[in-house]
Amino acid sequence: MSVLRVENLTKRFGDVLAVDDLSFSVEPGEIFGFLGGNGAGKTTTLRMVLDIIRPTSGRIEVLGAAPDKRKSDAIGFLPEERGLYSHMKAIETIVYFGRLKHMEPADAHRHGMELLERFDLADRAKSQIGDMSKGMAQKVQLACSLVNRPELLMLDEPFSGLDPVNQGLLEDEILRASQRGAAVIFSTHVMQHAERLCDRLLLLKKGAKRFEGTLDEARATQPAHITAIARPAIADVPGVMRADRVEDAGQDWARYDLTLDPGTNADAVLEACTARSVPLRRFEERRASLHEVFVRMVGDGEIER
Amino acid sequence: MMRNILLVAVREFRQIAMMKSFWLTLLLVPVALAIGPLFARSLDDEEATRVMILDRAGGSAAAAIEQRFALEEDRHTLRDLSRYIRRHELEAADPDAAWAQHDRWYTETDVEQFRRQGGLDAALQKIERIRPEATPEFEPHEPEYVFAPPPSELVSSQDALLDERIDALLDADEEEAGEEAADYVLLIGEGYPADPMIRLWSKDQPRTSFVTQLQEVLTGELRQRLLLQQGLSPDQARAVQSAAPAIAVTTPPPGGGAREALLIRSIVPLALSYILMMSLMLSGSWMLQGSVEERSNKLLESLLACIRPEELMYGKLVGALAVGLSMITVWLGCAAVVVFFTQGAIADMIRPALEPLSSPGVILAMIFFFIAGYIAISIIFVAIGAMADSMSEAQGYLMPVLLGILLPITLLLNSIVAGKEGLIVQLLTWIPLWTPFTVLARLGTGIEWWEMVGAGLLLAAFVALEVVFLGRLFRASLLATGQKPGFRQLMERFKPVR
Repeated sequence: MSVLRVENLTKRFGDVLAVDDLSFSVEPGEIFGFLGGNGAGKTTTLRMVLDIIRPTSGRIEVLGAAPDKRKSDAIGFLPEERGLYSHMKAIETIVYFGRLKHMEPADAHRHGMELLERFDLADRAKSQIGDMSKGMAQKVQLACSLVNRPELLMLDEPFSGLDPVNQGLLEDEILRASQRGAAVIFSTHVMQHAERLCDRLLLLKKGAKRFEGTLDEARATQPAHITAIARPAIADVPGVMRADRVEDAGQDWARYDLTLDPGTNADAVLEACTARSVPLRRFEERRASLHEVFVRMVGDGEIER
Repeated sequence: MMRNILLVAVREFRQIAMMKSFWLTLLLVPVALAIGPLFARSLDDEEATRVMILDRAGGSAAAAIEQRFALEEDRHTLRDLSRYIRRHELEAADPDAAWAQHDRWYTETDVEQFRRQGGLDAALQKIERIRPEATPEFEPHEPEYVFAPPPSELVSSQDALLDERIDALLDADEEEAGEEAADYVLLIGEGYPADPMIRLWSKDQPRTSFVTQLQEVLTGELRQRLLLQQGLSPDQARAVQSAAPAIAVTTPPPGGGAREALLIRSIVPLALSYILMMSLMLSGSWMLQGSVEERSNKLLESLLACIRPEELMYGKLVGALAVGLSMITVWLGCAAVVVFFTQGAIADMIRPALEPLSSPGVILAMIFFFIAGYIAISIIFVAIGAMADSMSEAQGYLMPVLLGILLPITLLLNSIVAGKEGLIVQLLTWIPLWTPFTVLARLGTGIEWWEMVGAGLLLAAFVALEVVFLGRLFRASLLATGQKPGFRQLMERFKPVR
């Protein structure tokens, strides 16, 4: 059973179409990237999954139930805009959220302390949130979302505002959650994290789905590039859409940048070269990065480098 | 659902209980209530008014004035003693004594009899023999006037010098100058009574009671002389002067007079109404602070991922109610301690004051109107908290709401204290926002049962509507940070969630 299933989800705010007929599902143990630029509908979708706002139409199923059943004991959520009660102590805050997710106080305290230990904050467990640095408070909030060992972990722009060390820590936690079988959804517009972590991706533009699939499938949507040192005959090999001569390599040899027809893979071109006795000194495939896929599908202006 | 509401309520309560302002208010109110009467007492002018009489007509007029004031002083003591005897049922001490008879206005003959029997000291000795241990001792009042002899240099002074010396006497600080200070100086001229002009110098505006008594004495003196001149014997003249009707007075026991009883019966309901108002304003503003913090610290989304907006709203309401009730418990506890350790008049007054609580129906009504009133007003604070991003923005919404609620209540409570139950009071009984205050305040003075039930039902319906509509506003406003809603957007938020 899918942990999260979304079918034909639409949300309108007055005349603005925020989410447009969106469908996807997330399976246990899967890390699912929710990619899109600002205003693409990522946060709106996550809020509908949490029943913070209601969809205009469509259907959502969280662990087999409607979102208004609020299976908060099985859900962990880290919002994009973060904040905690400044007068509460770190461990008190974690226990409070644990209890709101139907945990026993002792269990919430025990697991909360484990998380603080892992986040190198055990000695600040009794510090007030208001006395902590922003980075520390963000880690406490991450602990709040993890304290109930959620089956569905949703992280809205989790890496924003974190230093590289804490970004690494967060990546570890995402992988850890996935390894214990939780479905993890995180929205981001930083492609490196998605590239490193995601099993599957969903690209959104103006509320509508542009792509859903694995990283390989995403790359495959873009023409592959091959760097080859060959003779001019390479341009006539089937599957080669374009051969750009980059530099001369002497004696009729040159370095070419080959652009393949969409759907043609590098192996087929290499095989055709061999069959046609096209001589090659170098044949190196360079696949499209997620960044390039995103730019092509969503637009350069939407991306954060 | 209940579990989450309680969790939110406990957190709200703890947050407020951690505020210094909460403890300050909690302790300040009983302290203020305790200090208030003491302060008021210190403001009371308990010092006797010092009077000097400069009688240049021989001294008989001055003697008559002093005798008359002494008589009034003893009449006052007799009246106080009579009330004390009646309150504590101590008539057995001397059933024939004037102070054991409460059926008349004490005449000069009564006062004379009181004096002949040894005055206050002798009366207290008799009372002491039968006074139970728990009964407080009689506390005589301070005399209103003391007559002091004028300084010798004043006696010989005339005109401008006299004025100057009298001014010095009036200006002198009584504590420092002692005998050389006066509040009133009275000059009876050499030509009196042929020249009936009397001069009175006073530090402030002279008391009416003083001038009236003075006039009575001097008029009596003048009439006495006239009657003698007309050929009447001194005894005949005195008989004419002392002819006065005997006034029989029937009064309820102390604290039992209609107006007095009404006020005393209203103490607890009125106090509840005031307390409701005070605790509402305080806990409401603290709760508002908490709500604004949740919005400005952007932690609403984290909360709403765990609980429903309604649970958050109800939790806040329960938390505020708990804060209010705990404040009231402490304040009433302080009052109970005061009552327990206070003897005499206060304890006597408390008994009739608690009379309205003898009926279970009234107790239930008090609890209902108190809690319903708390919810009806607190929910407005909660809704404001959900709409405001900062305390200053919240104040903008809050001020008109507070004024709208408090102004009529202030007028209302004053009307009820004054014993008036006019159209405004009737009207406010039926307007749900003010129903709890009005009904609570009227419980002591008497409110028809059908009015109470009808207003209660209306209030319950109003609270239900508030929960529905302000609940929608709360939910719709929660995540709309940074947007100042116009009237249209505000109206949109009252619509059901799609």
